[in-house]
Amino acid sequence: MSKLDGMIVVEGLRAGYGDGPDILHGLDLRVAAGEIVTILGPNGCGKSTLLKAIGGFVPPRAGNVYINAQDATAVPVHRRVRTHHVGFVPQTDNVFTTLSVADNILLGARFLVATERRQRFAALMKSYPSLANKRDRRASALSGGERQLLSIARALIADPAVLLLDEPSAGLSPVMMDEVFDEIVRIRDRTGMTILMVEQNAAQALAVSERAYVLSLGRVAIEQRASELLDNPELAGLYLGAH
Amino acid sequence: MFEFSLHVATIAALYGLLALSLNLQTGFAGLVNFGQIALFGCGTYGAALAFNNQFGPVVGLLLGLVLVSLVALFFARLGRSLGSDYWGIATLAIGQILLTIATNETWLTGGAQGISGLPQLFTGSTRLQGHLILFSVTLALLAATWWLFHRLTQSKFGLSLRLMREEPQFAASLGYDLDGLRRSAMLVAAVPAALSGFLFAHYMTFVGPDQLFSTETFVVWTMVVIGGLGSHAGVVVGAILTQMLFAAVPFAKDFFALPSEYVAAMRLTLIGGGLLGFLLLRPQGLIPEKVGSIRG
Repeated sequence: MSKLDGMIVVEGLRAGYGDGPDILHGLDLRVAAGEIVTILGPNGCGKSTLLKAIGGFVPPRAGNVYINAQDATAVPVHRRVRTHHVGFVPQTDNVFTTLSVADNILLGARFLVATERRQRFAALMKSYPSLANKRDRRASALSGGERQLLSIARALIADPAVLLLDEPSAGLSPVMMDEVFDEIVRIRDRTGMTILMVEQNAAQALAVSERAYVLSLGRVAIEQRASELLDNPELAGLYLGAH
Repeated sequence: MFEFSLHVATIAALYGLLALSLNLQTGFAGLVNFGQIALFGCGTYGAALAFNNQFGPVVGLLLGLVLVSLVALFFARLGRSLGSDYWGIATLAIGQILLTIATNETWLTGGAQGISGLPQLFTGSTRLQGHLILFSVTLALLAATWWLFHRLTQSKFGLSLRLMREEPQFAASLGYDLDGLRRSAMLVAAVPAALSGFLFAHYMTFVGPDQLFSTETFVVWTMVVIGGLGSHAGVVVGAILTQMLFAAVPFAKDFFALPSEYVAAMRLTLIGGGLLGFLLLRPQGLIPEKVGSIRG
């Protein structure tokens, strides 16, 4: 498979923080265009580090990251939005609580011209009526689930080709969790966007994903179709620390 | 008494410029600058070095602006490789390095004796009239800076700065160039600080290293904390109040029949006490930052 075959290709990625030890040890990963892929694994296995390295927040020590068929390894995080069409939805503190809902969404429209900004904003308001109803209210007034939708909407306004989500269900009620996962599928079906997410809630995440990678100690332990993974006895072993 | 009041008002307005400058850096951009006095020093020494080399005030002003731009860019460059707390310490260190240079490079700066005899910028028919004109110019500059910073912080640029202050990593993920923002914020904020220094040098007709002591930075910090971080009006009010309190110290000394050496100690106590009191009891300051909708 050439590196042009997947929207996200990670080859031999080694990464860590500061002068500390490697968190990721030569990791390979591929996500095809339009695919929903989940990264799973126990705490400390390097899931979030992998997502941050793909997003550009953690510079790789070795290896390469290709996004949308372009080498993104050395591209600073703030340029990836524009050059590699990457949208990122952080795990926590993902809304600007002192601003209105509308302004929070418009924060993501930095590179758009005014007409484009208006059109996309209007389209998002149609897609997210719960946010549209509160567009002029401060984001601090939103529930946890609404904040997550707001964070997703803000990433979508730039019309990314790739969406990276860091634990989108973290801290949500079961009802809101389902709503967020359903929304992830709707986004992919509507736009054909490639979606890579890190999740702790394995069952719900696998239910909406095509494939999944399970990490253990900074390496890929399992790569499998999502529908088959829940029946894989290795998965429970990894979560229980058997590996 | 009128001349004394005019002096207090002029110094308050000059500090107001410094406070607006620090507020843009810290209150909006989250750049905790403990070397603010270095930016002021670029203005004072720009004026003094030009004067010492037989150049007029225009050259002094330009020199001050060039110096402050270089220092501001250096501060911003440091921010690329340092976390915000370490950056704050580094700015304090740079301020101390500049103070050491000003104190020891006698051939250039006049050393501890400084450079004296700078001309008054404005000469009316009397000295008082000259001071009145200088006060009016300083006040106009303060108002212009206030207006400009208000416009800037209400624009997309201001929103970007606040986003960088609150969630830098999140800002970067949305495409905001943090290095560029830091650079722009430092450059824009440095100009009024240098202008304040330039006017101060010509007003006092003397420039010396004691004007660059780090305690001066903390005087400006006190003004900003008392007034309200992130509030333009607040920090100007903070500058006026602090300066009025400082002016009242000699009267308090006379009233309580205290020795003269108590004056400096009382001023330091006011700075430390004011800073601590507000941080503990009213951290948002007298006029808190306004938050809300910005459409830029």
